[in-house]
Amino acid sequence: MPLLSRIRSQVALLAVLPLAALAACGETASPPPATVDDPALSGGELTVSDITSNAFSTPAPNLGGTSLEKHNAGDAAFEATFVTRPAIVNGGLGPVYNHTSCIGCHARDGRGRPPAAGERSSSLLVRVSMPGVGAQGEPTPVPGFGGQLQDRAIVGTSAEGLVAIDWTEEAGSFADGTPYSLRRPTVRIASPYIPLPGGMMTSARIAPPVFGLGLLEAVPLTVLSMLADEGDRDGDGISGRLNVVWDSRAGREEVGRFGWKANTATLLEQCAAAYNQDMGITSPIFPMESCHGQEQAGPPDSLPDLDAATLDAVAHYVATLGVPARRAVGDPVAQRGERLFAEAGCGGCHIATLRTGSAAIPELSNQTIHPYTDLLLHDMGEGLADNRPDYRASGREWRTTPLWGIGLTHVVNGHTFFLHDGRARSILEAVLWHGGEAERSRERFRTMHREDRAALLRFLESL
Amino acid sequence: MNLLSRTLLAVVLPLAGGALLAACSDDEPTGPSTAVSTELIDTVLRTSSNDVILATYTDLNLRAGELKTAVDALKAAPGTTTLEAARQAWRNARRPWEQSEGFLFGPVDEQGIDPSIDDWPVNYVDLDNVMASSATLTKEYVDDLETTLKGFHTIEYLLFGNNSTKTVNDFTPRQFEYLVAVTESFKAKTTQLYSAWSPTGQNFADTIAQAGASFNTRYTSRSQALQELVNGMAGICNEVANGKIADPFTLEDRTKEESQFSNNSNTDFADNIRSVQNIYLGTYNGAGTGRGLGAIVALRNPTLDTRLRAEISAAIAAIQNMTPSFGTAIISNKGAVEAAQNAILTVKLSLEKDVLPLVQSL
Repeated sequence: MPLLSRIRSQVALLAVLPLAALAACGETASPPPATVDDPALSGGELTVSDITSNAFSTPAPNLGGTSLEKHNAGDAAFEATFVTRPAIVNGGLGPVYNHTSCIGCHARDGRGRPPAAGERSSSLLVRVSMPGVGAQGEPTPVPGFGGQLQDRAIVGTSAEGLVAIDWTEEAGSFADGTPYSLRRPTVRIASPYIPLPGGMMTSARIAPPVFGLGLLEAVPLTVLSMLADEGDRDGDGISGRLNVVWDSRAGREEVGRFGWKANTATLLEQCAAAYNQDMGITSPIFPMESCHGQEQAGPPDSLPDLDAATLDAVAHYVATLGVPARRAVGDPVAQRGERLFAEAGCGGCHIATLRTGSAAIPELSNQTIHPYTDLLLHDMGEGLADNRPDYRASGREWRTTPLWGIGLTHVVNGHTFFLHDGRARSILEAVLWHGGEAERSRERFRTMHREDRAALLRFLESL
Repeated sequence: MNLLSRTLLAVVLPLAGGALLAACSDDEPTGPSTAVSTELIDTVLRTSSNDVILATYTDLNLRAGELKTAVDALKAAPGTTTLEAARQAWRNARRPWEQSEGFLFGPVDEQGIDPSIDDWPVNYVDLDNVMASSATLTKEYVDDLETTLKGFHTIEYLLFGNNSTKTVNDFTPRQFEYLVAVTESFKAKTTQLYSAWSPTGQNFADTIAQAGASFNTRYTSRSQALQELVNGMAGICNEVANGKIADPFTLEDRTKEESQFSNNSNTDFADNIRSVQNIYLGTYNGAGTGRGLGAIVALRNPTLDTRLRAEISAAIAAIQNMTPSFGTAIISNKGAVEAAQNAILTVKLSLEKDVLPLVQSL
């Protein structure tokens, strides 16, 4: 039975039971009451209280002894800088790559940004593909380039090309006449090492923050399925749906939830893919170099660059980073913003509260969390489209980005660039880019009184 | 080493019931506690950002210039004297850098300056390929290279060789050319770092000093800036004890030692803790208002202040006690190495458990 059909039948079964029980009491069906929880505890028992540049880099406080040790081992691996092999320490870089360490792009476990004018891209990469899909439904790789542009190479080898971004300002105004300007990027690949094939698709992606990922992984599939409403049966204009992707380790299709288009099913696979594509580090899950078949590929190595234990420790590390507590919970302006957030329908995709189930890492189990995401794909409109499908995600669809921690981006990373390519220069601009299923909510925001807009932003900055 | 604070701070504030759970050590008297004025906090923040941090970066920039001069002199007249002068200039530039690692936040991190200056390990294969290539070795060429082909450890490797065994006769002309280019690139980075903090540049010093001002969208309260300072201090303690010392020590492996070519680890680690001391005391190389973080601690908890000053001094002494040198002590003087780790972790614990809640309450 196809994966989604299996999930749907499981959900249908679960949905029937409580309804039947309530109907027996003569009551109308309603969701079970939420567990009493503290809105400041964004990560449940994995919440940390840090408002400095370390807000995303702290181990969850509830980690037991061996879990914390593994976290620290993963932390050291995450910060390791790779060099060209052979090397006694950290060999295996490249031959082509985007950065030499995980922390290089995910600075302070936080958010990357687009390059400034004249600056070489250091925490933004470009995914590429040809039209069509491969054997497992994946985007068709580009001959000579693969699925990602690696813009750096070890000495004596050619990088695949350089990233160049041109920005165009687009003016708009709020209903009250206040003007705003958004900037739209055009991504080019400059100095390709071979001519670029016609019809190649590109998609620029900044590095997303890496905290709270274990909690997101531990949200049961049934929960996500219940949130999905592909046919918009409830008529609210929102039709989130699950991405179904190939999982290399499992050797079968799984539901995706990681990455800007939810194209990866598990954290372990996400880490392994990042090692391979972003740094040229092979592992048991991806034993072939990202550039195999290309002129940059050297002689194959008999052993993977990274062993299973280190890969596992890194996945454990990002799974167990603490989630920063929400600030200003008692602030009346932020509270008004929270009500406006719900009234404008933002909460239809940016789901405020989820509960994790039973997880392989016990500290992640049964937590009530506030990630402000449903982990589903949504059509965000023409403006944000990259026109590059990724498994079931269309060229207009994006996974709902978690909003937890966004207010701390400035102090952690020294910038406030948001959305998949960092085009938004503020939370305000990010909201204004929302289209498609979010168009209605965007318009509610655009037509709000100035004080209401400010309150909504105050709420978002408290997350 | 490219350091990022890996502080293990994990203070959870359960707001249910409104109880503030601060992990203080309540088992000793704190002494008379006095209110802390905003004027004092402002003085401490200004002292930290100007008298300590900016002063440290100014000194680093100066020493980087001297290193470049010494390397130019070495290339012009290779000999044992000019080689030793260049090595000493490297050691001299190392000191303010290591004394800056107690505050590795802000521009040094965000502008990628830290990895350019201090990334580790050296990419030997690529470095050899650069030497073997016909590329013209200019500053601009080095600027485009990976961080593992420049900065302190690449320069150290070229000047000292393995375990300081390199003699002036071991140098090739190409190595001299590369040294000149890489120190010029290095100097540009220390200038960039200085400018980022300086009032004549981007003035990040003001972002810290004016925490809580209405224009300040980054540090919206004085307490937040103080917490940033404390986290930086605790972070370097963690990094030194649990990383820089632990990694080579646990494996008895000198290849994991950061400054292995110059045998400079004891000085490096001691300077890392002096970074903590400088912020705490409000001075750099003895100059400054002297109103550092300790001035706040002394008002709120005089016993803690006295204890922490002693703990910091003890940690520095314990590091210097890893004789004959760190690289050898990890094999032949393990007790001293463990003692140093413990002394450093004692400082870390005091900062996390006692000082952090104190500044969070301001």
